[in-house]
Amino acid sequence: MNPVLVLDVMRFELARSMTIGRIAIWFALVTFPVTLISILRMKVPIDPIEPIGFAVYFLVPEVVCLLGLLLWATPAIATEIEGQTWIYLAMRQSGRVTVLMGKYLTAVAWSLSAALVAATLCVVIVNAPESLRMWWVMCALATLSCFAHAAIFLLIGVIFHRRTMVMAVVYTLGIEYGLSFVPAVANKITVNYHLRGLLADWMKWDEIRTQAETLYGIELASTHLAALGLYTVTLLCVSIIRLTTAEFPTQQDG
Amino acid sequence: MIQLSGISKLYGNVIGVNDITVDLPAGAYGLVGPNGSGKTTFINLLIGQLRPTLGKVRVFGDNPWRRRRVLRRMGLCPATDVLYPNVSALDWVRYQVRLHGFSRVESDRLAREALASVSMTDEMHRQMGTYSLGMRQRTKIAQAIAHQPQLLILDEPYNGLDPVGRYQMTELLRTWAVDGRSLLFASHVLHEIEAITSSFLLIHGGRLLASGTASEIEGILADTPQEVTLVGKDVGRLVSRLSDSPWVDAMHLTSNRNELRLALNDPTQLYQRLSAWIDQDELQIDQLQSANGELTSLFESLLRHHRGETR
Repeated sequence: MNPVLVLDVMRFELARSMTIGRIAIWFALVTFPVTLISILRMKVPIDPIEPIGFAVYFLVPEVVCLLGLLLWATPAIATEIEGQTWIYLAMRQSGRVTVLMGKYLTAVAWSLSAALVAATLCVVIVNAPESLRMWWVMCALATLSCFAHAAIFLLIGVIFHRRTMVMAVVYTLGIEYGLSFVPAVANKITVNYHLRGLLADWMKWDEIRTQAETLYGIELASTHLAALGLYTVTLLCVSIIRLTTAEFPTQQDG
Repeated sequence: MIQLSGISKLYGNVIGVNDITVDLPAGAYGLVGPNGSGKTTFINLLIGQLRPTLGKVRVFGDNPWRRRRVLRRMGLCPATDVLYPNVSALDWVRYQVRLHGFSRVESDRLAREALASVSMTDEMHRQMGTYSLGMRQRTKIAQAIAHQPQLLILDEPYNGLDPVGRYQMTELLRTWAVDGRSLLFASHVLHEIEAITSSFLLIHGGRLLASGTASEIEGILADTPQEVTLVGKDVGRLVSRLSDSPWVDAMHLTSNRNELRLALNDPTQLYQRLSAWIDQDELQIDQLQSANGELTSLFESLLRHHRGETR
């Protein structure tokens, strides 16, 4: 796989996706957490920082990233298959894998840019004593969230090229917002569990970690990072294997 | 160039293509068959988009399902008429060439040349959503030929084209074939293919019924009962003439006595005698339809041959 070619796919996809509709969604994704944090800031004190800090985390690295990727990573391949344009890409020597990776990075770029802007604005609005720490933690978590969740949604799109969005919503609600909050070992397989663990570790919220060990975990930050990296790489590899071996419908047979 | 041996493709319980064996050297070929006959499945097997359930596919000596590098030697213009609406033809064709691994500069040059060859230079900066059907079709051809493949595969390229567009397409494909490059051209309209090549593959119900030149296929049909239909108010009076002829296998006169369908094992006997009978008996015959002019009849004759119903 040629990385320069992947970047060219990304450039093409970014140019193609620069539509009024998508830009409007991008602004909505930025505005939504900023508005809620502005309201919360008036009602919730910043000492202790944990309640409003967790709100920023929940709204940006979780909600903004998940919503953005749900809209942009999930249908990346499915729309090409449903729209019957997949055949042009699959006919290219480097088509399948390069296009998959290019579309993955495009979805990450759109979602991550919205998340980083939203995180920055939220941190400014919160104006906590440790603003700088909160800013880099939220940005780092948004980055990890985007790469890991994009890999999940991309795989869902590659496996279920029909009813893709339904399957992605079911996954998001069932696993990332259902299972990840279940105080049991099973929540450790979710991306959000590891993101929460990193949040507590990097923000040094030791007390909250002790009180809700099953939700925030006791693992080292390096363990969470390794788990997220492993998820991302594994899911992308599975997507590539699936895409290179799948027989997708091209058109009505003639 | 193309070798298929015992190729079958099943979609669950439905058969797409059935036990096709063919060896095609470089050249121009028409893939003829009615809608739903398996032409697109056949093409998808050649371009490695489908894996055969049984048999082996080789294109330029490589298995296209496993070795994607062979795709660089092929260009495909699919039948679907869907393109990105908010992208210009130049950006799209350049992108498609780039995905074959050409450099950015080379991709740009090849894309511009291909668009020029289909007379799209003036329109190539416009978004494709504003194109007419003919312009979209020409853009599709441009993306198929831009990387200069050795084999060009087209699936129903005349769909939606006006007469001028059809003429331009025919000229483009003729030039392609005359330049010594290979072509596989799928259509359900025989005369579209005849304008470009005289070599055919006839496919029906997923089976390859015949392959070869028009005269070779005529040779096959000569030994096969063929259906000839006569239409006119006096066709009933021909029954007595035909009833004792050994070259007539079956006759069917419609209830309004206006149409006579004949199954003939040697149609030339009828053609030699018919004008004399019309003259002698002063008959009015308005139409004579035979397998030579109608694709459906041609396929029915070939199916009979395929089933072994020869003289």
